[in-house]
Amino acid sequence: MFTGINVILVLILLSVLLSLGSSRMMALVKIMALQGAMVSCAGLLLEQQGSTGHSGIFFFQVMLLVKGALIPGLLYLAVTRVAIKREVEPIIGYHASLLTGLGLILLSVYITGRLHLSLAGDYALVLITAVTTLGGGLFLMMSRTKAITQVIGYLMLENGIYLVGASLTKKTHNLSLVEFGILLDLLVGVMIMGIILHNINRTFDDVDTAYLEQLKD
Amino acid sequence: MLESVFLLPLFTGLIALFLPVKLGRIVLVVTGLLHLQLTILNLLHPLRPMAPGYFGVAPAGLLVLLVTSFIFVFIAWYAVFYMREQEMESEPIFIGCMLLFLGTMSMAALAEHPMVLWIAIEATTLVSAPLIFINRSKRAIEATWKYVLICSVGIALALLGFFFITLSMDQVGLDVPLTFSSLNSTARQLDPLWLKTGCIFVLIGFGTKMGLAPMHTWLPDAHSEAPSPASALLSGALLNCAFLGIYKVHTLMVLAGLGEFSGSLLIGFGLFSILMAGIFILRQPDYKRLLAYSSVENMGVIAFGVGIGGLALYGAMLHLIHHSLIKSSLFLSAGNLVLGFGTKLAAKCGGMVRLLPRTFVGFFGGFIGISGLPPFGLFLSELLIILGAFQTGHPLAAGLFIASLILVLAGLVQIVTAMSFGPCEEEILVPEQLLRIVPPYGLLLSSVVLSLWMPDALYRIIVDTISIIGGTIHG
Repeated sequence: MFTGINVILVLILLSVLLSLGSSRMMALVKIMALQGAMVSCAGLLLEQQGSTGHSGIFFFQVMLLVKGALIPGLLYLAVTRVAIKREVEPIIGYHASLLTGLGLILLSVYITGRLHLSLAGDYALVLITAVTTLGGGLFLMMSRTKAITQVIGYLMLENGIYLVGASLTKKTHNLSLVEFGILLDLLVGVMIMGIILHNINRTFDDVDTAYLEQLKD
Repeated sequence: MLESVFLLPLFTGLIALFLPVKLGRIVLVVTGLLHLQLTILNLLHPLRPMAPGYFGVAPAGLLVLLVTSFIFVFIAWYAVFYMREQEMESEPIFIGCMLLFLGTMSMAALAEHPMVLWIAIEATTLVSAPLIFINRSKRAIEATWKYVLICSVGIALALLGFFFITLSMDQVGLDVPLTFSSLNSTARQLDPLWLKTGCIFVLIGFGTKMGLAPMHTWLPDAHSEAPSPASALLSGALLNCAFLGIYKVHTLMVLAGLGEFSGSLLIGFGLFSILMAGIFILRQPDYKRLLAYSSVENMGVIAFGVGIGGLALYGAMLHLIHHSLIKSSLFLSAGNLVLGFGTKLAAKCGGMVRLLPRTFVGFFGGFIGISGLPPFGLFLSELLIILGAFQTGHPLAAGLFIASLILVLAGLVQIVTAMSFGPCEEEILVPEQLLRIVPPYGLLLSSVVLSLWMPDALYRIIVDTISIIGGTIHG
């Protein structure tokens, strides 16, 4: 058993639960930095079980930089600019969210068990973590109204999808060039969302998406 | 080299972000023309890709590329004269993003690796967001936020779908490069369960971007709030690129012997989209939203035709071409209307015949076209799709299809009559100008010409595109 990877996976699971239970924006940004770094490490460790290449190590560093530093940095800037410290009225409360998070873990275990994939023991745990992260991200997007929290939910969803890819597919397919492209899209995406966020704040004096309700039929 | 087709607009787009306005406009038009030239060259003598594992020439991609490039020339021309009349907060950003948009769409059309396709389509969302957002009004901000968030999440699901398709390769221990052509040639060996799962995710993911109901919610907002040249690009070019992603996966499914599965999904989504659009088109007060819902409808028609297969597949490809031409023409005419009347409400545009006669001709012609009446191509394509549906034994679906089309037609007729012949109250703000009339006319005219005479090269591409999965033109 590779205990290193298990520790990391548990940390990722913990970060999902923490993000569901926390109301402070700054705390959320820090949690996302931790999660981004851990997801990058998980990618590297999973690769080491197969074959390690130079490109793998190089990619790990870039990913750590983007997911662990650049994106949380952008989020940090966004939070300080809009001067909103906490999510006051989530659509679903924090205790209920935490409970949902726990439910999500159980659901992921069930789903992973039903898949009949010939996965090694460790990979099953990776898949459980991945599905939980994915579901947690979606849940966060739906249950919070502040635009920043929705961006964080989107990032969590992406982290989950990356983990699914890392656990399910052989590394030989995931050519580094392609992964760079995906990372670049993610980074630019967060930047664009940050710009829109800034403008939402300037126009509506708040980043609450409940104000965005003019366009409908 | 093949990559120059998308590198050229990406490069000039990045430069245009920093150019003064006048120079930027020239760069916009010149790049459009060069891009069309490259596309046609590539059509006649396929260029060789530098990175064959990532990019390649597939007939379906060529078709989408040709349509995109063709309408871009007209839209770029229109945009130059539109921007003269309409104040924009930052014109260099608009021009630059239009070019980047063209570049990313071309990249999607030429992608050979599933992940590269995904990257390109996600990139189209990101570079088109500033186009919608350019006026920074409350409504534009809301539309952009919905667009970016809904599409990003949708497309993220498509990435998951591609991982599952990769897994269907690994499950059976297949060791071939991950490209569409090698997947197609080994389709029979892939694990069917994971292929199906992947197909569902890709369909939902790219379906969001293509505007299939019920994932279409971003589309009317984004199309109606964007400046008209951007709406024309979104509707005429972007939706096709998302469709291309779905089409490639559908091709894979058909080759793997699972065409029935993905086909019926496409038929279901298609019919539902047409029906939903029909419901929202009835009594729609805003004519740009009306056009947007009509895009949802037409994407539904295309999905339906592809799902049916056979003769309908040929109809669907024709529909794709003619919808792009007519719809972008309509959005450009709508831009003239917005300039003239200063409103997007149909009720305030009465008397269009008297005040803006030349715009009226273009707008009315476009509406005849989009309603599927002759002499425009959509008449032919919808007829072929209906015939195909009966031939392949889908009478119920064909009936529903016809009923929904009639619903859409009723809504369209109602609003256009009101706009064209309604009581005239307003004075116009910006008078008509020949240079802003020619592009919509040109696009309409090309639709008419194409339905009477089709160049051999284009005909060959369509046949190549559909023959892979059993589409025919002889019924």
